[in-house]
Amino acid sequence: MTKRILVVEDQEDNRRIVRDLLTSVGFELIEAATGEEGVRQAEVHRPDLILMDIQMPVLDGYEATRQIKAIPELRHIPIIVVTSYAMSGDEAKASAAGADAYVAKPFSPRDLLATIKQFLS
Amino acid sequence: MTFLASWTRSNNITNQLIDWVARVPARVQTKLLIAFLTIVGLLIVLGAVGLQVLSGVNEQTQELIKLQRKIAAYRQVQHDTTKQLYNISTALVLTDDRMLDTALRQLSQFGYDLDRLEFVAKDEAELLGQVRREYDQFVGVVTRVVELVRGGRMAEAREAQLAQSVPLADRLERLTNQLVNTAEADMVAAIETTEQAYRTSRFNVIVFALGSILLALGLGYVISWSLIKPVKEIEARLAQIAAGEFTQRVSVANRDELGSLAADVNRTSEELGHLYRQLAAASRHKSEFLANTSHELRTPLNAILGYTELIQDNIYGAVPEKIREILDRVQSNGRHLLGLINDVLDLSKIEAGQLTLSIVDYSIKEVVQTVVTATGSLAAEKKLTLKTKIAEDLPTGKGDERRITQALLNLVGNAIKFTEKGEVAIQAAAANGAFHVAVADTGPGIQSEDQKRIFEEFQQVDSSSTRKKGGTGLGLSISKKIIELHGGRLWVESELGKGSVFRFTLPVLPDMREVQT
Repeated sequence: MTKRILVVEDQEDNRRIVRDLLTSVGFELIEAATGEEGVRQAEVHRPDLILMDIQMPVLDGYEATRQIKAIPELRHIPIIVVTSYAMSGDEAKASAAGADAYVAKPFSPRDLLATIKQFLS
Repeated sequence: MTFLASWTRSNNITNQLIDWVARVPARVQTKLLIAFLTIVGLLIVLGAVGLQVLSGVNEQTQELIKLQRKIAAYRQVQHDTTKQLYNISTALVLTDDRMLDTALRQLSQFGYDLDRLEFVAKDEAELLGQVRREYDQFVGVVTRVVELVRGGRMAEAREAQLAQSVPLADRLERLTNQLVNTAEADMVAAIETTEQAYRTSRFNVIVFALGSILLALGLGYVISWSLIKPVKEIEARLAQIAAGEFTQRVSVANRDELGSLAADVNRTSEELGHLYRQLAAASRHKSEFLANTSHELRTPLNAILGYTELIQDNIYGAVPEKIREILDRVQSNGRHLLGLINDVLDLSKIEAGQLTLSIVDYSIKEVVQTVVTATGSLAAEKKLTLKTKIAEDLPTGKGDERRITQALLNLVGNAIKFTEKGEVAIQAAAANGAFHVAVADTGPGIQSEDQKRIFEEFQQVDSSSTRKKGGTGLGLSISKKIIELHGGRLWVESELGKGSVFRFTLPVLPDMREVQT
């Protein structure tokens, strides 16, 4: 069965990079450009994994992660949090928000794929 | 209970009194002057009272002396009268001419005594008048008797003596006795008055002295406290300000210099609070700026690197070798740019005091292993041996693991970068509560002149080689600052042609107060 991944990212280029990468290896992609939309798409589509960007306006990645994890039906979905620069405090903040993994930008596509495969094997 | 109640009551009253004095709108100088002058005044009055008492005592003494003289004079008269009689009697019996002369002479002496008596006892005028009259009579009789004796008329002389001199003498004696008695009675009365006066004076002086002492003490206490209390309150407030508390205000009752001092302290506190808030706001703005800049700069760069990597991974189709080569160069430049941005932002954060260390427990052994893993391929490419010597039983350290790794990575990366052949060795040990780490290479070594310079920004040993060797030129200065933020030290030991050893110490448990955040 094709695994579906939800990408929540406000920058178009970054979204496209992830899309091109993941579709080339056979994942189905759902995209959301804001944290709010991300939560809604998660509820509607029930993806197998969520890639959550942190630096987003209005609703940032931590808050969106918290909201998704608060919904009982969605709590099981692994959320990988992507941040622009690995700030020393971000790992702690990510796990405090309920994220399952943490990846720093710029990520090497190979590493990202490996991490995703870890959760979806 | 009542003692406590009355004690608190008196405390309240004293407090009210102190506040009342404090509120007086006179200069501190004036208040002190008034206090001292009042005390001086009391001393002067006390002195005056003392002097008055002394002069009173002196007067009494003079009185007593006068009386004493009176009595002496009266007794003298008595004595003389008696002597007279004796002499005349003896003369009559002995019919001695010489004795008669003596008797007459004594009469005049008697007269002098009487004069002196009148002088001394002016207030006994009536009695003295009587004495004078008797005396005059006595003188007349005695003179006549002496004449009779001289004339040989002994029987008449004897009769005159018996019939007139003796009774006259008796009367004189009685009169003088009266005088003496009166005088002695006066003396007794005077002594008693003196006694009384002394007791009264003593009592007055004691009461007055006590009163003055109490007044002086009370005045001194109230005025000192009206000055000390505000000083203490101002001091307490200043201590608060020194500790960073700017919002409270001190309030004193004084309307003198201390009052204006308190007002100034309040204004200073307000101003400081104001400045502090401004400073905090400016610091916040700086942090926000750094965070925003960081994000803005890295976002497009990440897109560039991301796309290039995807192209290289053939996601968009096969890529010809020549293009792949060019893309490699694009990627490496991009990564270099990213490195520069990260380093510049790191450095400006450190210099702005904005770098927050995330303190976690770490194992120095793991840090070394992470760095070895990351640089292994780099070393292999240049055919360098990468070895480690990690001591046993190293303690768990507390610090920002990511930053410490960053620093060690920089040192090892440099070692590999600048060494053409041989090995790079990493040593880790612990001693005296600090980790001792060394990165030794068999590279060209560093001259002593350059050894300080390389830790400065954008300085490599050979400035022309910055581009060739890669790297941003910021790594060492950032590493040094990271280690120093943890309370450690980074330095190099090197000789030209003999390789280099970069050493650093890192306190295992950095003193949290000294760790700058």
